[in-house]
Amino acid sequence: MTWELFAVFIGSSVRLAVPLLLSSTGELVSERAGVLNMSLEGMMLTAAFAAAVGAWATGNPLLGLAIGIASALPVALLQAWLSNTLRANQIVTGIGINILVLGATTLAYREVFGARSREQIPGLDKWAPPGLRDVPIFGPAVFEQVWLLYAGLLVIVAVAIVLRYTSIGIALSACGADPRVVDKAGLSVVRIRYGAVLFTGFMAGIAGSFLSIGDIHTFTEGMTSGAGYLAIAAVIFGNWKLGPTLGACLLFGAATALQFQLPAMGVNVPNALLIMLPYVLALVAVGGLVGRQTAPAALTLPFIRAG
Amino acid sequence: MPDGVPSNAGGGAARSAGGAARGARWRRWLASPTVISTAAAIAFAVAAGLALIALTGAQVGEAVAAFIDGAFGSAYAVAASINRATSLALVGIGFVLADRANLTNVGGEGQIAVGGMAATAAALYGGVAGLPLGLSFILPLTAAVLAGGLWGGIAGVLKLKAGTNEVISTLLLDFIAIWLVYWSVQSEALLRQPMTHSSTLPESLEIPDPTKLPIITGDPGVPLHIGLILAAVLAVLIAVVLSKSLFGLWLRAVGLNPTAARRAGISYGGVVGAALAIAGAFGGLAGGIMLLGEQYVLKSGFSSGYGFDGLVVGLLARGSVGGVIAGALFFGFLRSGGINMEMVAAVPSAVVLVIQGLIVVTLAGAAYWTRSRSAA
Repeated sequence: MTWELFAVFIGSSVRLAVPLLLSSTGELVSERAGVLNMSLEGMMLTAAFAAAVGAWATGNPLLGLAIGIASALPVALLQAWLSNTLRANQIVTGIGINILVLGATTLAYREVFGARSREQIPGLDKWAPPGLRDVPIFGPAVFEQVWLLYAGLLVIVAVAIVLRYTSIGIALSACGADPRVVDKAGLSVVRIRYGAVLFTGFMAGIAGSFLSIGDIHTFTEGMTSGAGYLAIAAVIFGNWKLGPTLGACLLFGAATALQFQLPAMGVNVPNALLIMLPYVLALVAVGGLVGRQTAPAALTLPFIRAG
Repeated sequence: MPDGVPSNAGGGAARSAGGAARGARWRRWLASPTVISTAAAIAFAVAAGLALIALTGAQVGEAVAAFIDGAFGSAYAVAASINRATSLALVGIGFVLADRANLTNVGGEGQIAVGGMAATAAALYGGVAGLPLGLSFILPLTAAVLAGGLWGGIAGVLKLKAGTNEVISTLLLDFIAIWLVYWSVQSEALLRQPMTHSSTLPESLEIPDPTKLPIITGDPGVPLHIGLILAAVLAVLIAVVLSKSLFGLWLRAVGLNPTAARRAGISYGGVVGAALAIAGAFGGLAGGIMLLGEQYVLKSGFSSGYGFDGLVVGLLARGSVGGVIAGALFFGFLRSGGINMEMVAAVPSAVVLVIQGLIVVTLAGAAYWTRSRSAA
């Protein structure tokens, strides 16, 4: 492999990993607090659609991004209400929301775009940090990315700091580990969990918007095609720790990038096997081959104050 | 409940007392929170679907007429809907069985995929076409059952060896199986038909006639195949197993309290593994029936959401095999009607997805009220 090809491979791995990095960071926050959002896929798909429509209708990709993020929040609110207030089965409601969103976005896409399908949509600009841009070979290929990637990295760093060093982060993790303790400390478990799920919606909103107006500048029906589930698998892979979760996302991104890279290098591997690779890796990971996972003790368990 | 009816019929004939008892039981069943919430969820979702159709600017009357025509309009339509329902019911029955042990099998889609692949491989290259006594299609169906069982069994092994939640593992196995089908019809070394010219489609050859499921009616215009009979027999069998057999009791014990079940000498691992493998086998059988009974040619994406629909059917049924059958028929007709609505009235069949999603979310949410009612 030449250095040029290697640089392209690294760059596309990162680009393909971005939606996973963002959404799994959001999901990690929620799962730390004890709520599993199978609806991550639906939140991302909603945002991907709304961002595309927003950018197309206003001609302004920034407004599209804002609309995309805002559209994922009601989906997250619905999930939060079902999980925390109605104490419904989180897995079942999440899958239900995904079916609902797939139907609704497909329907709305046909209504809005109709015959104009596959139309190019104004997308977000690319940017590279000054200095890094001029690195030979790697500069343009790796660092010149949609600016949302860099903004997202800042958010992820902020999440890492909040989780580790602030009382909010500690209370959040306590909600997933032992919610009764949080309750006894006078904090509202339900309120913290609502906040955590809404944050997941915010991150999924950025991730979904990135898919449609950051990466490929168009919307296709069901375009998330399992990315939300992969992000959940990454959280499990990462054993509910931020660093390893992000590592898993990069691994999945690299596995996806191989689809485009190997044929370019003249290596003949069936395309299907490469598309499958992230899911196989995720299965191997959740199958405990990378060490035993310990989930937050109260994950998927709704909180009811005893007596 | 043979003796639970107070004989207040006032000296009426035994027959009419029995009738009154049955009436009372029916009324109680109809008034149960489960039935009311299910009916309300379906009504709400259908109403929302109709509103959506109106919003798209289509004539609602025309759309509904196209829907009814596609679902019930002809003997052919009814047979096609029932064939769809058969596959959904099989996935749903498997779901209910695993659910009894508190296991959620989200893997129907993948199990259908591997079942269809195995059935195609056996029908085309297993040398079964010449076999007598129906073995020509029974053996491919068996291959489908085994493949599905194996696929479900993987989730069981992962759960027992690594504690992996079966929802995640079966879901990932869905994606892997879907892409396996894609691979198998892309590669000539696998199931793709020989490439005679450049426009040869990436799909398998058509399976030989003897391996196709016989049509019950004998009339190709009413293509109701024997999968229906098979599913009906299996439904009764599983209903009995769940309610009367020792295995049914084990499933329930493991589902309610694994620790207590272990202490009572029940093999937790055996029950969990068997439950997931059997659920997978039902999914695989559904895939085999779809291939041998309707599609005859393996194509990428042939499972087209039947596994997820079957999951929804299983959820709606709330643990009862009768409920699975009702739900499967409902969704089978819903799918047929939706397809026709798209073709005739130009209303995207995605409306059907919206209706399904709403039903699942509403019902799962409504459990909040039914729970508190039943507890009271």
